[in-house]
Amino acid sequence: MLNKIGLDPIALEISWNGLKSVTDECFLTIMRSAFSTNIKERHDHSTAIADAQGRLIVQAEYALPIHLASMAGLMTCIIEQYGDTIAPGDIFIGNDPHVAGGTHLPDINLAMPVFAQGRLVGFVANIVHHADVGGAAVGSMSGGLDEIYKEGLRIPIVRLYSKGVLQDDLMRLLLLNMRLPEERKGDLNAQIAAARLGERRLQEFMARNGAAHLEAVFDDIVRRTNLRMRNAIAQLPDGDYAFSDVMDDDGAGTEDIRINLVIHKSGERIIFDFDGTDKQVPGNFNLTLNATQSAVCFSLKALLDPEVPNNQGIFDAVEIRAPLGSFVNCVAPASVALRANTCQRVVDIVIGALARALPDRAIGAANGANTSAVFAGIDPRTGKQYIYLETLGGGMGARATKDGKDGVQVNITNTSNLPVEAIEIEYPLRVEEYALVEDSGGAGKFRGGLGIRRTIRPVDHDCEFNGVGERFRNRPWGIFGGAAGKTGRFLMLGGEGGEQSLPPKATGVRLTSRMAAVIETPGAGGYGLPQERSEVLLREDIESGKFSPEFIAANYKK
Amino acid sequence: MADWIVGVDVGGTFTDFSARDLRTGTVHIHKRPSTPDDPSRAILEGLKELQQKTRISGEDIARFAHGTTVATNALLQRKGATVRLITTRGFRDLVEIGRQVRPLIYDLQEDAPAPLVSRSNRLEVSERIGSRGEIITELTEAEIARLIADLQAGPKVESIAICLLFSFLNPVHEQRIAAAIRAEIPDVFVSISSEVQPEFREYERFSTTLINAFLQPEVGRYMERLKGAIALVAPNAKFGIFQSSGGLMSIDKALEFPVRTALSGPAAGAVGAAAAGGKSAVGDIVTLDIGGTSTDVCLIRSGQMEIAHVRDIAGFRIRLPMVDIHTVGAGGGSIAHIGPDGLMKVGPESAGAVPGPACYCKGGVKPTVSDANVVLGRLPASLAGGGMIIDRDKAVEAVRTIADPLGISVVKAALGICGVVSSNMTRAIRAVSTQKGHDPRDFALMPFGGAGGLHAADVARSLGIRRILVPTAPGILCAEGLIEADLQENFVFTCRTPLNGSLSAIEAAVKQLDEQAQQWIATEARGAEGAYRLLTLDMRYVGQNYELPVTLGQPGETPDLPGTDALKDAFFEAHQRSYGHVDRDAPIEIMNVRMKAVARLSQVAPVSELPVGPAKASEHHDVWFDEKTPVSTPIYPRSTLEAGIRIQGPAIITQFDTTTVVPPWASLTVDPALSLILEIDDAQ
Repeated sequence: MLNKIGLDPIALEISWNGLKSVTDECFLTIMRSAFSTNIKERHDHSTAIADAQGRLIVQAEYALPIHLASMAGLMTCIIEQYGDTIAPGDIFIGNDPHVAGGTHLPDINLAMPVFAQGRLVGFVANIVHHADVGGAAVGSMSGGLDEIYKEGLRIPIVRLYSKGVLQDDLMRLLLLNMRLPEERKGDLNAQIAAARLGERRLQEFMARNGAAHLEAVFDDIVRRTNLRMRNAIAQLPDGDYAFSDVMDDDGAGTEDIRINLVIHKSGERIIFDFDGTDKQVPGNFNLTLNATQSAVCFSLKALLDPEVPNNQGIFDAVEIRAPLGSFVNCVAPASVALRANTCQRVVDIVIGALARALPDRAIGAANGANTSAVFAGIDPRTGKQYIYLETLGGGMGARATKDGKDGVQVNITNTSNLPVEAIEIEYPLRVEEYALVEDSGGAGKFRGGLGIRRTIRPVDHDCEFNGVGERFRNRPWGIFGGAAGKTGRFLMLGGEGGEQSLPPKATGVRLTSRMAAVIETPGAGGYGLPQERSEVLLREDIESGKFSPEFIAANYKK
Repeated sequence: MADWIVGVDVGGTFTDFSARDLRTGTVHIHKRPSTPDDPSRAILEGLKELQQKTRISGEDIARFAHGTTVATNALLQRKGATVRLITTRGFRDLVEIGRQVRPLIYDLQEDAPAPLVSRSNRLEVSERIGSRGEIITELTEAEIARLIADLQAGPKVESIAICLLFSFLNPVHEQRIAAAIRAEIPDVFVSISSEVQPEFREYERFSTTLINAFLQPEVGRYMERLKGAIALVAPNAKFGIFQSSGGLMSIDKALEFPVRTALSGPAAGAVGAAAAGGKSAVGDIVTLDIGGTSTDVCLIRSGQMEIAHVRDIAGFRIRLPMVDIHTVGAGGGSIAHIGPDGLMKVGPESAGAVPGPACYCKGGVKPTVSDANVVLGRLPASLAGGGMIIDRDKAVEAVRTIADPLGISVVKAALGICGVVSSNMTRAIRAVSTQKGHDPRDFALMPFGGAGGLHAADVARSLGIRRILVPTAPGILCAEGLIEADLQENFVFTCRTPLNGSLSAIEAAVKQLDEQAQQWIATEARGAEGAYRLLTLDMRYVGQNYELPVTLGQPGETPDLPGTDALKDAFFEAHQRSYGHVDRDAPIEIMNVRMKAVARLSQVAPVSELPVGPAKASEHHDVWFDEKTPVSTPIYPRSTLEAGIRIQGPAIITQFDTTTVVPPWASLTVDPALSLILEIDDAQ
C-alpha cells in the first residue's frame, strides 16, 4: 500500500469501468464454456475481483448476491491460511461452509492471486454452482440430510494449481467423488479459464496504469461505496424495528423454525440482531454467518439504493449479531445445502421489519422459497444417468403502487428456467403444464403475485423425484392490511389413490411413466386493505382468469 | 433509363438519402428532418427535394432501399395490434412467465413488461408434439372447430399468433390451425411460430412470433402506404426493405415478417461500414456510430458482420439472426452529472434534440458531451456547413455547473466528460470484441454518425487500436449501407444430431435448406447480379446449451457438408477462439443447420467528388488535449484533403455534418479511396 495516490472522480470512474469489463468478460467466459445446464441456461455463477486483503471490490453485473458472500468468505480464509506462501500461478479451490468460507457445498469457489513485481495486489475469483458434488443424494441438494458429510465432498481451501502446475492428484480425487465427472471437469475448466483470463486482464490494466493506481482504485471503490451506503442508512428514521417469521420445517423433523430480528438504527449505524432465533437444526437449512450477511445486505441495498455497487463497502456498513450455533450462524457439522430458502426468508423478514420505516418501498412477503425440483434416473434412450435440477420462481410481494409480479424469481435468486423444449430434448421427461397458480396471490389494495405450477412426467422409465419447498404451511404474509398469499405444494398424480400430496421436503419419490409430479410454488402477500382495491383491477383479476369469482367474492368484501 | 439506386434511412431525428448512379458511380446525398407521426412524409418530401437538387427523374430510379424504424417504434411505444395467441394446452402462461427472471435483481419496483397479448386472449388447444417431432396428442378436427368457434365468439382482433410446442420439428398442427383460420376468418393476419423462426427454445420462438403478430397490421399499413406513394413517384423502382440480419428483403416478405425489421436501424450503418472498409481494403473493423443519445458498435471480420441470435427490445425478446450490434446510452447529447458515489457519470440521460446541448442555444443548460467538445475547442464554433450555431460561452457555463461542485477547472471537467464517455464506449467495444474472443488491437476503428470522429482517437487509444478509418461520408453511412446491401434470406432447421455416427439427417437438412434457398433465389432474386448460399452449423459439446455457429465454406462456393473430421476441426477452431479452450475427446453435437441465401444486386463503386487541394488550414483554433495549455490547431476542410497527403496532429478536419479530431499523438493520411486514416503514434 505504498504510493497511495488520491484519485479524482473522473480517473476513478474510468478505471472502475475498466474493471467492470474484466469481471463481465470472466462471467461470460464461464457461461459460454461451462458444460452444465445449470450454468449455461440458468447462469448460476458469479465472478469478482478482490484486493490483497481479500476485500471484494468489483463483481460482474449479473453476479448473484449469495455468491458474493461466499467469495468474500473464501478470500478471508485464503489469506489466513496461506498468507506469505501465495505465489503467482496458484489457483485455490474450496467449497466448505465451515472451513473455507462457503455457504453450501455445490458452490465451488476458485481464486487466483494477481502479482505485480512479486507483490500480491489482489485476486480474481469465481464461483459456480455445480450440479453434483457427491454425497448421499443425487444433486447434493436433497432435503433431510442431517450433517454436512452427507451433503457431498467437503473441499477445504487447497491449491488446484501450484505456481501454474495443475495438481492432478487433487483433480482426480475431486472428480472421483462427484457424479457426472465429465460435466464437473467441463465446468471446472471453464472456471480455470475465467480465472486465468481475469488475471491476464488485471496484468494488462497494471501495464497501462501501474499497480499503485490499481490499489488506489480498490481503496477508493470500497471507501466511496461505504460512504454512499452509510448516507443511505442515515436517511432511515432512527429506532428499533422488530419482525419475526417461521419456516415450515427442516425436512428432518424440526417444525416451525423461528427467525427473530430486531434492527437497531441510530445515525449511520445499523445493527441486525438475530437474538431469539432458534438453534441450528438437523436438516440442511442452516445459514453460515456470511450467508446471513448476504441476505441482510441484499435487502438493505434493494430497499435503500438498488444501484449501489456490491462490494466490501456494503458489508462494512452493516453490523450483524447472530448467536453462534443458531439457525442463522451455524457451526460444524451443521448441514446447509438448502440455505437459499432460509436466505429468501431472511430477506422477507428484513423487509417486513423496515416496512414501517419505508412504507413506499417495502413489499409483501414473497413466495419466500427457493422451490427446487430434481428428477433423476437412467435415460432409456442412452442408458446413461441423468439429473435434471430446476428452481422455480413464484409470487412476488405486492408493492405500494402496483401488484406483485406473477411467476418470477424473487429476493436473492434470479435464475432462469430451463425451456420446456430443452428439458424434453435433453432428458426423458415430459412437461405437461407450465402455468400460473390461480387464486394464489394474497388480496390487497395491490395483490400479491401468483405462484407457478409445473407438471412433469417421466417417459418410458421410472425416475426419482426430490423436491424442496417452503411456505407450504406458513403463508406469505401481506403488509398494511394486505392478505396472505397461498401456500405451495407438491403432488403426485397417477399413483394408487389418484392425487397424492407429498411432503414439502420430498425425498426419493419413485415415479413410473404412468405418474407425474406437480410442483406448485407459493404466491405472495398483498399490500394495503383489500377493500381499497380499484374496480378496474378487480375486473382485470376476473377477466384474466387469474382469480376465480369465488375468490374475489370471499376476499374483497366491501 | 432506370439506373439510380436510392437508399433512404429513417432515423429518429433525420431522414437520410443517398443516391448512386449505376452507370457512373456518381453519388448525391441529402438529409432532412424526420416526420415521426408518418415517416413516409419525410421520405416523399425528401425524395422530391433530392430530385430537384440533382435532376434525377422518378423513372430513372431502379431500386429503392429502405431502412425503417416503424416496427422498432411500435414496440418501444407498445402501439400495435390487439393479438390473440393460440398455444398448446397447459402453456398459455408461458409467454407471461418468460424465463421467470426480473430485469434487475436488486430493484423491487422494476418489472419486465406485460406480454403483448392479454391472458384472456390466449387460447389453448389439445395437441402435443414430442421432442422427436412425433405426435403425442393428435389435434382433432373437433378441437379445431371448437377453437374457430371460440375465436369467432370472442372479441374481433386484427392478428393471431400460433405458437405450439415442438412445432419447429413438426409444423403440421400449426399449419392445420392456420389453414382453418384463414378459411374461416379471412380478414386476420396470422403469424406461425414454425414460419417466423423455426428453432428450439419455445419462449424465444413464441415471443418472436407474438411480436410479429403485434407488428403486422401497423407495419403492413405503413408499407402499403409507402409502396403506393413511391409507385407514383418512381414507377420503375424495385423495393427493398432492410432487415436486422443486414440484408434487404422484398416488401412482401416485410409484410409477412415485420419483426425482421425491428432491430434493423443500426445494422445499415454496419453494412455501410463494411462497404467503406472494402474500398480502403480494410476488412477487420470495429464500428463506432455515435449519435445524439446512444452509440452503436459492431465487429466486422473479413468484411463480414458478426451475427447475434437473441436480443431484447423494450423488454421483449426476439430470436432471429441479426447483426450483432451493442448499444450504450452515450452520445453527443448525453448529460454529465455527479453520481451518488461522488463520481462523474455521463449518460444515459440525454438532452436529446430539444432542449439539446447548451452550446446549440435551444434552451439546454445541462453539461453534455457536445458542450465538453466545444469547451475544448474540438467542435469549432464556426463549424462549416453544419448549419448549427454554436455558442461557446453557453457550453462553458454548462460545464461549469459540474466543474464547480467537483472543485476542478472547466477544462478539466470537459476533459473528464470526454474521458468518461470514451470509457463507456470502450466498454461497449469490449463487449463485442474481447468478450467474444477477439482482440480489438487486430481491428481498425471506423467512427461515423455525427460525433464518431470527435471521440475515435481517445477510444482507439484506450483499446490499444492503432488505426482509425474515417469513411468519406460518415454522417450518412446508414443510407450508403442500404445502397450496398444485398438481398438476403435465412433458413434454419433444428435437428439435434451427434457428431460421431451417421450424418444423414444433417445431409438431408442441408439438401432441403439448399433447395429452399435456391428456390428463393429463383423467385425473389430474379434480375440479381449473382447469388450464393452459405452453410452454417450451430454446434456444441454434448451437455452445453449454447451453440456456436460454425460457417462452412466461402461465399460463392456450393454449400457442401464436409466430413466428420473437418466438421470437428471447424468446431474446435470456433470454440478455441470464443472460449480459449477445446476438449478434443468430448462428444460434439449439431443443433441447427442454417442456410443463408444472398443475392447480389447490381452495384457500382461510389465515385466521391474529388478534393480541391492543396490542403490548407482554413483557420487555427486553440484546442485542449490536456489541461495544461491549449494547442493552436489547424482546421482543414475535408474537401481539400487529396489522396496521399500526410498531416501530423494536432489537426481538426471538418465536413458537412462531421468533425474529426486528430490529437497531437496521432497522424493523418488520406488513402486512394479518400478515406482518412489516423495512426496512433507508437509511444501511445
